[in-house]
Amino acid sequence: MYADLLNALPDVFSLANFAAVVIGVIAGIVVGAMPGLSATMAISVLVPFTFGLEPLVALGLMAGIYNGAMYGGAIPAVLLRIPGTPAAVATTFDGYPMAQKGEGGFALQVAVVSSAFGGVASAFALMLLAPPLSKVTLLFGPSEVFWVAIFGLASIIFLLGGNPVKGLISACFGVFVSVVGSDPIYGNDRFTFGQLEMLDGINIVILLVGLYALPPVIDLLETPLKTDGVKSSKLGTEPIWKALPRMKSYWKTWVRGSFIGIWIGILPGAGGSMAAFMSYNEARRASNTPETWGEGEPEGVAAAEVANNADTASALIPALTLGIPGTAVAAVMLGGLLVHGLQPGPMLFRDNPDIVFGFMWQFLFGAILLVVLGGSLATNSFARLLNLPRPLLGSVIIVLMLIGVYSIHGRMFDVYLMLGFGAIGWVMDRLKFPLPPVVLGLILGGFAEENLRLALRIGRGDPMVLFQNTTSLILVALTIAVIVGPSLKKRFTGKGKAQ
Amino acid sequence: MLNIVKKTALAGALILSAGAALAEYPEKPIEVIVGYSAGGGTDVMARTAAPFIEKYLGDGASIVVKNMPGASGQIGVTEAANADPDGYTLGTFNLPGMMARTIDREADYDRDSFSYLANVVNDPNVIVTSKSSGLDTLDALLAEAKANPGAITVGMSSLGGDDHFALIKLQNATETEFTIVPFKGSAPARTALLGGHVAMGILNISEVAEFQDQLNVLGVATNERSQFAPELPTFKEQGLELVNGSMRGFIAPAGLPEDVQAKLIDAFTQMASDQEFLDAMAATANPVEVVAGEEFRQLTSDLYDLAKGVWDTTPWN
Repeated sequence: MYADLLNALPDVFSLANFAAVVIGVIAGIVVGAMPGLSATMAISVLVPFTFGLEPLVALGLMAGIYNGAMYGGAIPAVLLRIPGTPAAVATTFDGYPMAQKGEGGFALQVAVVSSAFGGVASAFALMLLAPPLSKVTLLFGPSEVFWVAIFGLASIIFLLGGNPVKGLISACFGVFVSVVGSDPIYGNDRFTFGQLEMLDGINIVILLVGLYALPPVIDLLETPLKTDGVKSSKLGTEPIWKALPRMKSYWKTWVRGSFIGIWIGILPGAGGSMAAFMSYNEARRASNTPETWGEGEPEGVAAAEVANNADTASALIPALTLGIPGTAVAAVMLGGLLVHGLQPGPMLFRDNPDIVFGFMWQFLFGAILLVVLGGSLATNSFARLLNLPRPLLGSVIIVLMLIGVYSIHGRMFDVYLMLGFGAIGWVMDRLKFPLPPVVLGLILGGFAEENLRLALRIGRGDPMVLFQNTTSLILVALTIAVIVGPSLKKRFTGKGKAQ
Repeated sequence: MLNIVKKTALAGALILSAGAALAEYPEKPIEVIVGYSAGGGTDVMARTAAPFIEKYLGDGASIVVKNMPGASGQIGVTEAANADPDGYTLGTFNLPGMMARTIDREADYDRDSFSYLANVVNDPNVIVTSKSSGLDTLDALLAEAKANPGAITVGMSSLGGDDHFALIKLQNATETEFTIVPFKGSAPARTALLGGHVAMGILNISEVAEFQDQLNVLGVATNERSQFAPELPTFKEQGLELVNGSMRGFIAPAGLPEDVQAKLIDAFTQMASDQEFLDAMAATANPVEVVAGEEFRQLTSDLYDLAKGVWDTTPWN
C-alpha cells in the first residue's frame, strides 16, 4: 500500500494536475469568503464539467476548493462576524473581537496557518490510516450516531457560556427548522404548506446566511456616518513569517483540534461546524485564561480553524471505503468520483491506486498551498475590504447574499426564506439569544431524529436499544458530564470562596 | 395590401421552417432533465448515454443535461411531463419510484403523462446478510424468519422504493415477516450491515459488487444471472420466485410527434448494442437492460399496479 502511495506521487506533479490544485485553492478561498457561496455549491457546479477532464485534474480542483473554502469561510467571519461557511461559525467568537481590536490581519494569519495544519494532519490520516479508521465508522450504528448528535447539541447549549436557557431555546428553534420537509422514515410532508420547494427541508446555507449575514449588515448600515470601519494601519498585517513565531504556543490546540476534526470527519453527517465547536470548547477548557476567550483570544481562532480543516480529508475516509460521506461536501465529491468510474468500496484502493492515492496527495498539497496562497491573498486583499465605506460594504454583502442564496437551487423562494430568517436573526441578536445553537440545531436535529427512529425500529420499539453497547454508554456519560459539569464546577468554586 | 403580403410571407416561412423541423429533427440542442444532482446514479447514466444518443440521432445532434434536483426526483420529472412535446425536452425516469410517488403523495403527473422512450438501466435487488448474523444461506434466513416473525431487521433505502417492493414480494412469497429499517439511501444501509447493526439488507447488485467479501450475498432477483456479477446465483436457481429491481430510463412528455418518437426510440435501441456504451456503463456500475417504446410503457404500468396493490393493503405512510 505504501508503495502505491509513492508511485502515485509523480503524476500529481504534472503541470495540469498541479495547476488544478492551485486554481482550486484560490477558487475555494474566494467561494468560502463569499457569504452564501459554499464549498458544497462550488463543487456541485463543478461536477458536470469534470466529465471531460482527466480524473486527477477534476479531483485536484475539488481537493483544492474544499481546502480553500474551509479557510475562506474564516475571512468574513473574522472581518465582519459573518461566517462564510457553516463551519466558520466558531471562528467568529474570537476572530471578530480581534479584528475590532485592530488585529484582524493577525487573526487571518492564525486562521490560515491553523487551517493548513489541520488540513495536513487530515490528509495524513486519509493516506496512512484510511482502512483502520473506516472500522471505527462501522462501530457507529443508528443508536451511537444519535448520541453523537445529542452530545453535540448538549455541548453547544451548555458549554458555550452565557445563558443555557437562551441557548436551549435557540437550539430548539434550530431543531424545529430541521423538522420541516419530508419525514425521514415515512416521507410524509411536514410543515411544507404544500410547497414542493420545502419538501427537501431547509438548506443550511439559507439559514446561515439569513441569521448571520443580515444582522451585521443592518448594523453596518445603521451607522453610515461613523466613518469607515477599521483603518488599514490598524489591520496589523505583517509578513506571515514574522507572525509565525507568535503562534508557537498553539501547538497543543492544533494537535487536539486535529484529532477532534479527524474523528468528527469519519462520523457520517456532523461535519466541520461540530468539529470547530468541540475543538473550541476543549481548547478553552484547557486554557489557563479561559476568561479572555470570546474577547479576542487568537488561540480561539486557531482551535476553530484547525478543526474545520481537519475534517476535510478524513470525511473522505468513510466516503471512499464505505460510500457514506462524512460531510455534505464529501457527498458531492463522491459524485465527482463516480463520474470517473471510481466506485467507493474496499476494492477502490486496489483497482485505482494511481488516482485514489494521487487524490490524497492533492489534499495534502492543497493544505500546504493554503499558507502561501491564503496568507498573501487574505492579508493583502481581503483584509482591505474593511477600508470600504460602510454603506458600500453593506450593499456589496447584501448583493452577494442574494446571489449566493438564489444560486443554490435557482429560485426566489429560497431568497425570501433567507430574508425571513434574517429578520428572526436580527431580533434574536438584539435579545441576546445565541445564534450558533440554531445552526447546530438544524444540522444535528434532523440527524438525531432520523437515527433515533432507526434505532427504535432496530430495537422493535424498545428504548433500551439506545443503551445496549459500550460506545453508546460512553457517549451518554460524556453528554451528562457536559450538562452537569459547569454547574458542579460553579458550586465547588463557589463553596471554596465562601469558606 | 403590403401588410397581407408580409403576413402571408411570414406564415409561409413559418410553415416551411416547421416542415423542416420535422424533416431534420433534431435541429437544435435537446435538453435532458435529470431530477437528481450531478454525480448521482441517474445523472451519471444520462451523461454517459448522452454522447451515444447524439451519435445515433446523427446530423450533429447535441444533448444538454440539466439537473433539477429535489423532492426525490419529483421536481425534475414534473418539469419534463409538463414541457412542450416537441422532442427538445426529454427527462430521466426512475422506477418504481416515479410511479410510487403518484400514489404516496400528490403528484402533478401520472403514467399517461409521458411518451416512453427507453429504460436503460435495470439494477436488480439482492438480499445480503451481515457476517455477524450467521444467516449465510437463503434457507437459514427463511427458517429464522419463520421461527421468529419480525425478529430479523432489514436495512434498506427509503420506503416505497424498489428495495421495499422486493421485501413485500419476499414476504408474500414465503409467508414471512421482517422488521424494516429504512435508511436514507443504500450506502448508510450497507454500512449498518457491515457494522452488524442490522441483520439483513435489501440492496441492488451494483451496490454490493464491491463488498462481496464483507457481506453474505444470498441471491439476485433476476430471471437469469446478471451480466454485472455472473458469479452470484439468482433466487430462481434456489427455488424462490423473486424478480425485482431499480430501473432508470428516458421519457419525453406525452404527445410527441410520431416520427420524432420513432427516431428517438431507434437511437436508444442502437445504443443498446454499442459495446463502447456497455463498457462505459459497466465502469460506472450501471447494469444495462434496454427496454424500448411500448414495452417500456407496459413495464411502467405493471410497476404502477404492483405499487398500488401494495399501497392498498399495506400503505407505507
